[in-house]
Amino acid sequence: MLPQRLKKAITDNPKKLGNLIDLVNLPSTLREFLGQSQISRLGCFMRVWSYIKTNNLQDPKNMNVVNCDDKLKRILLGKQRVDLVELPSLIKLHFPKEPK
Amino acid sequence: MGKIPSSFRSMTSTQLVKKPTTFPPAPPPRDFRNRVSGRESVKTPQNTDQGSSREPLRNPFKTPDLSDAKSLFNSIASTSKIPLDLKFHNSVLQSYASIAAVDDTVNLFTHILKSQRNFSPEPSTFHILLSHACKAPDSPLSNVHRVLNLMVNNGVEPNQVTTDIAVRSLCESGRIIDAMDLTKELSEKHSPPDTYTYNFLLKHLCKCESLSLVYEFVDVMKKSFKVEPDLISYTILIDTVCNSKNLREAMRLVSLLGNAGFKPDCFLYNTIMKGYCTLSKGSEAIGVYKKMKEEGVEPDRVTYNTLIFGLSKCGRVEEARKYMETMVESGYEPDAVAYTSLMNGMCRKGETLGALSLLGEMEAKGCAPNACTYNTLLYGLCKARLMDKGIELYGLMRSNGVKLESSAYATLVRTLVRSGKVAEAYEVFDYAVESKSLTDACAYSTLEISLKWLKKAKEQGLVV
Repeated sequence: MLPQRLKKAITDNPKKLGNLIDLVNLPSTLREFLGQSQISRLGCFMRVWSYIKTNNLQDPKNMNVVNCDDKLKRILLGKQRVDLVELPSLIKLHFPKEPK
Repeated sequence: MGKIPSSFRSMTSTQLVKKPTTFPPAPPPRDFRNRVSGRESVKTPQNTDQGSSREPLRNPFKTPDLSDAKSLFNSIASTSKIPLDLKFHNSVLQSYASIAAVDDTVNLFTHILKSQRNFSPEPSTFHILLSHACKAPDSPLSNVHRVLNLMVNNGVEPNQVTTDIAVRSLCESGRIIDAMDLTKELSEKHSPPDTYTYNFLLKHLCKCESLSLVYEFVDVMKKSFKVEPDLISYTILIDTVCNSKNLREAMRLVSLLGNAGFKPDCFLYNTIMKGYCTLSKGSEAIGVYKKMKEEGVEPDRVTYNTLIFGLSKCGRVEEARKYMETMVESGYEPDAVAYTSLMNGMCRKGETLGALSLLGEMEAKGCAPNACTYNTLLYGLCKARLMDKGIELYGLMRSNGVKLESSAYATLVRTLVRSGKVAEAYEVFDYAVESKSLTDACAYSTLEISLKWLKKAKEQGLVV
């Protein structure tokens, strides 16, 4: 009934899915923040997002913006304010494509 | 067969006393009571095993080792005061088969056969061995043949039940081709399958194998063994070809079925109608409905639901609505499926608000919407850019704990992001993950793609 092709978009592509859920050895900055040495890009995003939520870091006037605390700033290019739109791409910077 | 009869259960406790290292006697035995308690005083079971004793109580065989099993059996046989009957031997084999290899089980069987004079195996005994052999993962059917030979050598002729058990066990372990070959072989040597076995096998063949193979099998069975397909067999075949969108073949089968002297029933008509509906052929679906009426087959709820679904799908909402009325007249109150199909049709036509009001109507009539109803509506509202209503509906879904379907989720997230409500999109993402509507990866990648699009649009100055 509802279009079926959307369902398959990502999970069908093993490369893209692997890129998202494979465990990666972390650089020291992230290691400090997460307290573990390996994580997937998806897991990292979830951790950062839940960190933002538990510490109420979203700007109360504009929920789309995050006011970073010192700890968060260190992993997000030292920015004071981060737009939620950028969050996935900022995290992605820590997970560079592996050279073949 | 799966249950251990009480006569055997009591044996469990005798054995427990004899092997003090294994298990303490947990529940009081039934008929062996006095004997057991007499021995208990001699050997007290170790306390350390007490905790884990209850779990494996049902199976007296602790290891798949053959010599252990034999000695265990001998000890029961020598100490038992009541004569051991067929039921007992069967359950011994059954219990042992559940942990041991086929070879060992067969050996235990021959051991019992030799040591117990009065034991004359019945078909049921061999069926235990056979079903075990069928489930064992060896690729040629050597084990199965071994058991069948054993059966014949002991003067028990394989019958229809044998075929049925073999086919079902093989199909259960995914060996459909083997099941087919064995059926042919058994039909040749002993007895052809009955209609239930035949249809069961046919269904599995249709599910997993190519149509030509299925036809070949039907042909062989018909020509060599006089097993004719019945109405159910035809329904299975028609359903299969309909699912592969081969309606012409379905029509050929329908005429074949007529020639064979069968009259299509409501179920078969529904199957054909479903075939047309999935191909969005509304007129043909109505044609089937009219044919049913002509032939005097009374349409049931499924017929109407299918028809409403099909007509909505190809955009003939008005007609779908009319059939919904006919449905009520024939005494079927429309259910969530009918309403959802109609809503889907209306959303496609752009009458999204009408679809939303249908939700109210439906609830007023006491018909509870299901997850599919909500998702259809949410999808429709988002597509029609009716964001406020969409968010309202999402709130309702959330409070009712309705799971999101991937397309509805994706559309909602995309629409939210597009209108700059990024925080809300994150919130929807959280709900999707929390309610386990989608896998984390699925939910995240949808969000990421939407955000990426917004970022790009912002850079190009398309969105402020």
